[in-house]
Amino acid sequence: MTKISTDGRIVLTCNVNGAPVEAELPTARVLADFLRDDLGLQGTKVSCGRGVCGACTVTLDGVPRAACQAFAFEAEGADVRTIEGLADADGTLHALQTAFQARSAFQCGFCTSGMLMLLSAKLAETPRPDRAQVVHWVSANICRCTGYALIVEAVEEAARTLAAQEAAE
Amino acid sequence: MTELRVIGADVSRIDAQEKTTGRARYTTDATAPGMLHAKVLRSTRGHALIHAVDVSEARAVPGVHAVITGADLAEVPMPVYGYFIKDQPILATDRVRYEGDQIAAVAAETEEAAQEALRLIRVEYEDLPTAPDIDAALAEDAPELFPEAPMGIVPPYGKGASGALRPRRNVCYEFRYTTGDASAFDGCAHVFEDEFRFSRMQHVHLEPFVSLCHWRDGDEVEIITSCQNPFPLRKEIARIFGLSEARITVKVPYVGGGFGSKNNCKTEPIALILSKHTGRPVRLCLTFEECFQTNTQHAAILKIKTGVDVDGRFVARRARIALDAGAYSDATPLVTEKAGYRIPGPYRFAHIDSVCSGVLTNTAPAGPFRGFGGTQAAWAAESQTDMIARRLGIDPYDMRMTNLLTLGQPFVPGESGVDSDLREGLDIVADGVGYHLPRAPGRGVGLAVGFKDGGGVNKPAQARVKVSTNGDIHLACGTVEIGQGVRGALSSVVAEIMGAPLGRVTYLPLDTRLTPFDQGTNASSGISVMGQAVEKAARKVRDEVLAFAAHMLDASVEVLDLEDWTIRHGNEVHPLAPMVMKYYGGTGFEFTGDGFHKAANDHNAPLEAQCVFWEIGWAGAEVSVDEGTGLVKVHKLVVSGDAGRAIHKLVCRGQDEGAALMGLGQALFERMIYDGTRLVNGEALMYRVPLAEDLPEVFDAITQEQGHGPGPFGAKGMGEGAMLPVAPAIANAIHDAVGVRLTELPITPERVLAALAARDAGC
Repeated sequence: MTKISTDGRIVLTCNVNGAPVEAELPTARVLADFLRDDLGLQGTKVSCGRGVCGACTVTLDGVPRAACQAFAFEAEGADVRTIEGLADADGTLHALQTAFQARSAFQCGFCTSGMLMLLSAKLAETPRPDRAQVVHWVSANICRCTGYALIVEAVEEAARTLAAQEAAE
Repeated sequence: MTELRVIGADVSRIDAQEKTTGRARYTTDATAPGMLHAKVLRSTRGHALIHAVDVSEARAVPGVHAVITGADLAEVPMPVYGYFIKDQPILATDRVRYEGDQIAAVAAETEEAAQEALRLIRVEYEDLPTAPDIDAALAEDAPELFPEAPMGIVPPYGKGASGALRPRRNVCYEFRYTTGDASAFDGCAHVFEDEFRFSRMQHVHLEPFVSLCHWRDGDEVEIITSCQNPFPLRKEIARIFGLSEARITVKVPYVGGGFGSKNNCKTEPIALILSKHTGRPVRLCLTFEECFQTNTQHAAILKIKTGVDVDGRFVARRARIALDAGAYSDATPLVTEKAGYRIPGPYRFAHIDSVCSGVLTNTAPAGPFRGFGGTQAAWAAESQTDMIARRLGIDPYDMRMTNLLTLGQPFVPGESGVDSDLREGLDIVADGVGYHLPRAPGRGVGLAVGFKDGGGVNKPAQARVKVSTNGDIHLACGTVEIGQGVRGALSSVVAEIMGAPLGRVTYLPLDTRLTPFDQGTNASSGISVMGQAVEKAARKVRDEVLAFAAHMLDASVEVLDLEDWTIRHGNEVHPLAPMVMKYYGGTGFEFTGDGFHKAANDHNAPLEAQCVFWEIGWAGAEVSVDEGTGLVKVHKLVVSGDAGRAIHKLVCRGQDEGAALMGLGQALFERMIYDGTRLVNGEALMYRVPLAEDLPEVFDAITQEQGHGPGPFGAKGMGEGAMLPVAPAIANAIHDAVGVRLTELPITPERVLAALAARDAGC
């Protein structure tokens, strides 16, 4: 629940990458700055600053958000997930991370955290996407290096891996 | 050749783990205790005198530590920068020349405080007439951007080439290249003259221009920066501030994209002055919008006259090219040189007469951009190749096959031979796109071959390879990892030569105090030039280790082999670590090898050294055109580059795909739009870059490995070539589909509709 601030500061309580966080912040603290500067989670990148490029994408309760366009207080009570929390606690990588590595689905890497967070949320919601869906998802974010084809292939590969894992369980 | 273990292996990039887990660190992530944040006040006028800058209120803002203006540059020995021509002031002194020109800067505890201070700075301008584009700047009554004489140099040129500083008003540099005799036109059966226009893109590297600079007591300077040429930057900083290069440290972590823009000074001079004033480390990180105001591609007007013989063979070409340099010279002299030199494309002419001018305008400075003048040249030349073929009733494919240079044939007299079979590449994309098949209804297919000299001009590179007692390999060289995968590629070369697994090699952090000199990560020179230095360094170490082992084992070198830090001697295997400690003592040793490479100077070569390698991009496109809306749809785009030898196949493919999609954006929609001197779409919402949805239904990048490259194991440079042919291939496909010729980029629906209307009117 969001608390109304009268002095320009607020106490934020949320969960970041599985760990409880309580912090006192200016009300106007931007979520990306809170994550990067206050919590030191620098894997989240900021590029366009307008919620267009998607480099800063994190998930709030599983929903992708541009952290440069969200206030920290919007994370009140939420489960915030950043790239640092995408792998399991024991270090086992998410299938998307493995697939991005295997397909070289990155170059400079500046968009990669945001791509992975976006796509992990979409895959959780729609585990068996067709190619058109994957292309549609990837189109939410900008990658200036790869030409996207290897990213699309990596997402398809990750979807297959997850489906196989599910079938095995 | 013995079988390769590491080169070409299907393994993850060496930066894969860091970059997919958020652990990769970039300049934008760098912080320092006591760090201040800087912001820059920029001109809101396209061209104006500055009478006063009042910063008194800004200085009073809480948290502000320093405010500097042009007046503070009095303390700086040479407060201007540029490549051949030093004309860009760190801060405006008497005038501004474009909207976005830097006027004042603030260092404060927070970016917000710095921003607040900027709002309180008062600038008194007196507007001057403006020259917002090439035509306006070359007009007889054009305002002069630089009344004073230029401070610059013309580099040495060889046979047929020359350069000139400020040959005319508002022309910062002019490059000329001539070979053969102009009378060649007289013997031509046909002569065609056409004009092409090329629009301007911004690099849109996702990591902005950013640096963290610290000017310490005793004039020790440390710079952490998102930069692709740290050593030339160090030289420029030393010159500007009168410092010893030995007291300047430039460190470059991972760079979040550059595409050419991150050469030379950007944020560093201002951050350094603010650091000197405050004694604190200063971070200057530009916004996405400011990046648009800092460096761009060159818009161009290209006029080409081409003479052919009765059989459609190229004979003579005259080119007059004007590039929009923007307000400062930046890399424009080099880009004029390359656009002017590359205008023949991959064909042989008996006569070439090329003049390329860099025209100063009141817009953002243009600089290096992937393709570097080659993209402009290829747009015009490969469009015209098709136009000429169609006018003569020759199939454009046959026209190219007739005229393409052959393997080993010099590009022009005095040049190195072409190191790819150009016809082989053309067949790959022609077959890939179905050029020879009957057209589907409404579809058109076009081809193009992009061509550029690669590896930079006369470029030296140095590298050092060290091996510790236990076989850990250290690679030190100045090539920046900017996304192209160079750390992995160069590490793979070392691992292959040292008989070691790739994981044994560490690419050391780039620090100009410790890293051997390099001229910069540009011109696709990573594998083709630095690769040769690294290869030599690794071979030296290997030779030294084998000689050492031969001594220790009392055997001849010829019978020994090095395998993952053991010496194989027939059926015996001898670990090296105990041998090293036995000879050098228990605390160990490091074997060290230095490698150096530079193409020989050669006055017979037009650019004073023969081209290192030829970077080729072949493209085939299949399109349809909606005649109701003018919308062009690219159904197939097949590109191909020749890696010579692919060190990492997926990396090569990714380089070509990225370049091709950038070319597709350039062809169809991506451009900076100016209204007079005002950039109207310089931000993320308004400036359209290609998205995944823009991918054609069929999108193939085919990596050739023809094996003729000068780099390690036959490798050639990659990454720029596939951008060059895309726009002309699409224009050629449009002509094939609907019979209209688009000569201006981007090919917007409005332009297509206008061309269709002209066709229907019988124009």
